[in-house]
Amino acid sequence: MATAESTALIDVGILFGAVALAGLVANRINQSVIPFYILIGMLLGDYVLGNIDFPALLGTDLVPHGAELALADTDFVHVSAEIGIVLLLFFLGLEFNLDRLIASKERIGKAGVADLAINFGVGLLLGYSLFGSFLAAFLTAGIVYISSSAIITKSLIDLGWIANDESDAMLGTLVFEDLFIAVYLAVATALVLGGGAVGEALGQIGVAVGFILVLLLLVYLGTEWFQRSLETDSHEFVVLRALGITVLIAGIALSIGVSEAVAAFFVGMAFSSTDHVHDLENLLEPLRDAFAAIFFFWIGLSTDPSLFLGVAGLIAVAAVATTPTKLISGYLGGRIYDLSERRSVRVGLGMTTRGEFSLIIASLALSGAGTALPEPIAEDVYAFAVGYVLVMSIVGTTLMQYSSAIESVVVPRLEAGIGSTSPSSDD
Amino acid sequence: MTVYESDLPGVGKKFEVELEDGERLVIVTHNTGKREVYLKANPDADGDKLFEVSDRLARKIGTILEGAYFQPVQAEAVETMLSEDTYLEWYTVSESAEIAGQTLEEADVRNRTGVSIVAIQRGDDLISPPTPETVLEVDDTLVVIGEREECAEFETLLGDEV
Repeated sequence: MATAESTALIDVGILFGAVALAGLVANRINQSVIPFYILIGMLLGDYVLGNIDFPALLGTDLVPHGAELALADTDFVHVSAEIGIVLLLFFLGLEFNLDRLIASKERIGKAGVADLAINFGVGLLLGYSLFGSFLAAFLTAGIVYISSSAIITKSLIDLGWIANDESDAMLGTLVFEDLFIAVYLAVATALVLGGGAVGEALGQIGVAVGFILVLLLLVYLGTEWFQRSLETDSHEFVVLRALGITVLIAGIALSIGVSEAVAAFFVGMAFSSTDHVHDLENLLEPLRDAFAAIFFFWIGLSTDPSLFLGVAGLIAVAAVATTPTKLISGYLGGRIYDLSERRSVRVGLGMTTRGEFSLIIASLALSGAGTALPEPIAEDVYAFAVGYVLVMSIVGTTLMQYSSAIESVVVPRLEAGIGSTSPSSDD
Repeated sequence: MTVYESDLPGVGKKFEVELEDGERLVIVTHNTGKREVYLKANPDADGDKLFEVSDRLARKIGTILEGAYFQPVQAEAVETMLSEDTYLEWYTVSESAEIAGQTLEEADVRNRTGVSIVAIQRGDDLISPPTPETVLEVDDTLVVIGEREECAEFETLLGDEV
């Protein structure tokens, strides 16, 4: 008989094999990999595979019950998913360019504030009307506000938009969102881990702010130390030291109730002012992608698709409400960047994609189940977020692919509308 | 020529080079080292992807463009510009040349064409400056100085079939 260790290894092998296959399928049909990683996780988990009674279906006892085959949410998967979150945010920090933000602070600021006010605002209203609690509304607002840097950046490259002017507006707005999500996650984590009680949450927020201030001080004063920490010719040592520093600080943060993701963001930012940025990007990118894939798979594993039935209406309402809000805020962002009507429409189309960060907020909601949020609401928020991301990641990618058809319909009307007030100089 | 440089967070860097006729060459350098090269018909147009190459190949192509392996030189440099419109040229006197066998005074080159003959290379000898009595012989190499049209005028005196 197989020992426990060997089945654990088989499980991990199946996990990677399944994720690799899902990625292949996604690539074939020109879709983002993220929804496919989630779906395959859902299929292979307790809720789907685990509920299939193969002996009864096939009328023979020779095949095992699905529950024996289903992949469990083991410590390995959970911790790997956690590392995935840490590395995603670490990269955000690593690529966060403060100089760039300051250099074009006016445009990024205006486009970012428009994006924030419209989408976060609508998200708050939507969340409150759907779930009837402030914390759930706050989490929903984050889920519908944050666009997916990973999917958008990849689509920009695949479609060749990266060479065009719309990429500046999109990446600029994403920089603003990245900065916002760092602050947002710190507050949201404190609220959730604070157990929902206002007094305790305030205490947690105090701890979070204190920890972030310490990290900022580290970023500001510690550049030389971070620089020296990676002075080595060995790629192996660079990877090990970077992981050692990042994961350890993230872990310490989590142990005192501060968002591990935010800690990782600031560690990334600290490394971004050293000479090692390029090395780190090259060396850690495959690691980040592998762990992020496990994170998406884990999201799928933890999702009970039957809960989708209960929240399908909410997902539909949210998708219908927040696709136009991103289209509008993206369009406004494009205009703030002095882009033509056509390119501004493209910015809107691209920004509709939600992805990894919405899922990080979803996993946060789940961790507050039974404490900060009543269990049914936490599960609903989680299922809502997963379903919403599945829909919006595919909607966003598809909108970008069919942008030329959409532009040919929308742009003449926009130009006609604009033309009546001021002559348009666009192509 | 202007080169625009911008950061692409999470991707790399973008360079836009102004070409002639308003075209723009866009080079996207990925953090992975990959280069993508696009051409825009004008600053507002969409970029058409021309090609993408690996870091190694990109460096090779860059070195070739830079001229490290082959520097084209002007073929058979027979003229040198002294200024915007003044040329220093040299011609060989052929048998069919109208002025072959004449002295400089007889040929009256300066008045007829405007160019000055500043030196004559005859075999291993250099006659510089030539005198009015110097006879122009077949196979002499004449070094002349003058404007573009004057040089062209002089070429007709030589009767060369170009």
